[in-house]
Amino acid sequence: MPKLVFKSADKSEVTVEAQPGDSIMHIARQNNVPGISAECGGEMMCATCHCYVDEQWLPQTGQASEEETELLEFASSPVTEASRLSCQLQMTDALDGMIVHIPESQV
Amino acid sequence: MPIAPINEDVSVHQLIDDPYPIYQAMRQATPVVQVPSVKRTMLTKAVDCRFVKDNPTLFSSNDPTTPMERAFEAHTLMRKDGEEHMRERRAMMPAFSPRNLKTVWSPMYEKFVTEYLDRLPKDEVVDLFPLLAGPVAARILAECMGIPDATDDEMQFWSQALIDGAGNFGGFDEPFERAARANVQINENLERNAERLKAAPDESALSHMVNAEDPLPWSQILANVKIAIGGGINEPRDAALTILHGLLTNPDQLEEIKATNNWGAAFEEGVRWVAPIQVSSRLVLEDTEIRGFDVPKDTVVMTVQASANHDEEVLENGHLFNALRKPSVVHQSFGSGPHHCMGTHLARLMVGKILMPMIFERFPNMSLPDPNAVNWQGFGFRGPINFPVRLS
Repeated sequence: MPKLVFKSADKSEVTVEAQPGDSIMHIARQNNVPGISAECGGEMMCATCHCYVDEQWLPQTGQASEEETELLEFASSPVTEASRLSCQLQMTDALDGMIVHIPESQV
Repeated sequence: MPIAPINEDVSVHQLIDDPYPIYQAMRQATPVVQVPSVKRTMLTKAVDCRFVKDNPTLFSSNDPTTPMERAFEAHTLMRKDGEEHMRERRAMMPAFSPRNLKTVWSPMYEKFVTEYLDRLPKDEVVDLFPLLAGPVAARILAECMGIPDATDDEMQFWSQALIDGAGNFGGFDEPFERAARANVQINENLERNAERLKAAPDESALSHMVNAEDPLPWSQILANVKIAIGGGINEPRDAALTILHGLLTNPDQLEEIKATNNWGAAFEEGVRWVAPIQVSSRLVLEDTEIRGFDVPKDTVVMTVQASANHDEEVLENGHLFNALRKPSVVHQSFGSGPHHCMGTHLARLMVGKILMPMIFERFPNMSLPDPNAVNWQGFGFRGPINFPVRLS
């Protein structure tokens, strides 16, 4: 199965199996990856599943939608070009090995 | 598996007066416990509360035993699940889009806060509950909802009447009669404003709902606005006073927050410390198990987010207000799952980012002469019921 690497703000990292079709948020929550609160459970309402896609993977993940970009403004950590709401980012085979950075805080 | 122990000792009055020591004891000895006085199985650990909220297919919001339907004269979205709930919720969401929060409601709120602060008498002890926190919450809510002609007093009367009716588990006549009076007035107001907004749409919730391509039935449009009135005044009001209490009794923290302008941290800590909505009920749809106890179908479990926010497994000294916690603590005051509070961003922005700095800018030497004079109250909803400060 494809894999994802989550890197925390404190530099710790964890590698997990990632089912294509699942959201990155869902994969993080299922594996108890700390730092992805995902309060609303993937309805794109809360902005507490903010993550940063590692630079080298940005071309593969594509862009956030307009709605997602607007909601990202409510993220508590700084928003960059690499920012995504992990509930809106779907795992694919092409993303096997992708590194996802977790922000310092979600609220 | 055994069923959860029963706690016959805890009374509703004790929970209204001072629930935190009770929850602390429950977390330590009986984290899953049947409490006959509230007719619920209480869950006081953070993990369990989150588990219930995140699993709506097992833990339904449709608890048929609450007096809410009678008080609201409607089956509201708060008590619905799945697609039906989401459809009613989505109907209001455009009003609270990030863009509207920034460009419409925030500037309007700032203007109201300025006006209400202008009216406060200086250099004397004044109660901020009736003079600021309640009315300013009522004013912006009336505008967001699309009923700007409702007065602050009307909004606050309606809100309290709906809350008291929905919490009238004893089935007494007076709260239901008061809720019925409020319903007549709200219905009349909404009909009038709906006509106005059909002719001249704006960004308010009522406008979005009545002008939608596929509008909700009128009964559910009414129900949605009533839910917002029932929850949208007391919560920002209680949150604001709770944060002020925390900051004014911890001057070192207040100085640090002023210096760093990190009002967001003060907001989060305030709503964590004393959650404005302390508990939620969910109906168990299938026999299940929580923390090694059998929880049979049809049990009503109560997530105690007030307790989850103080859970020793999540943070230290949860009973203390500390706006400088590092890292910031994840709390459950806005809930989680599909019923995650719709006013979250509105509250963070208005109470946290706008109201708090504006108050301290206007009254840099504001003080709370007697913290013990502040009375806290509430089991379902909790906050200070008076807040006497000296403004200067």
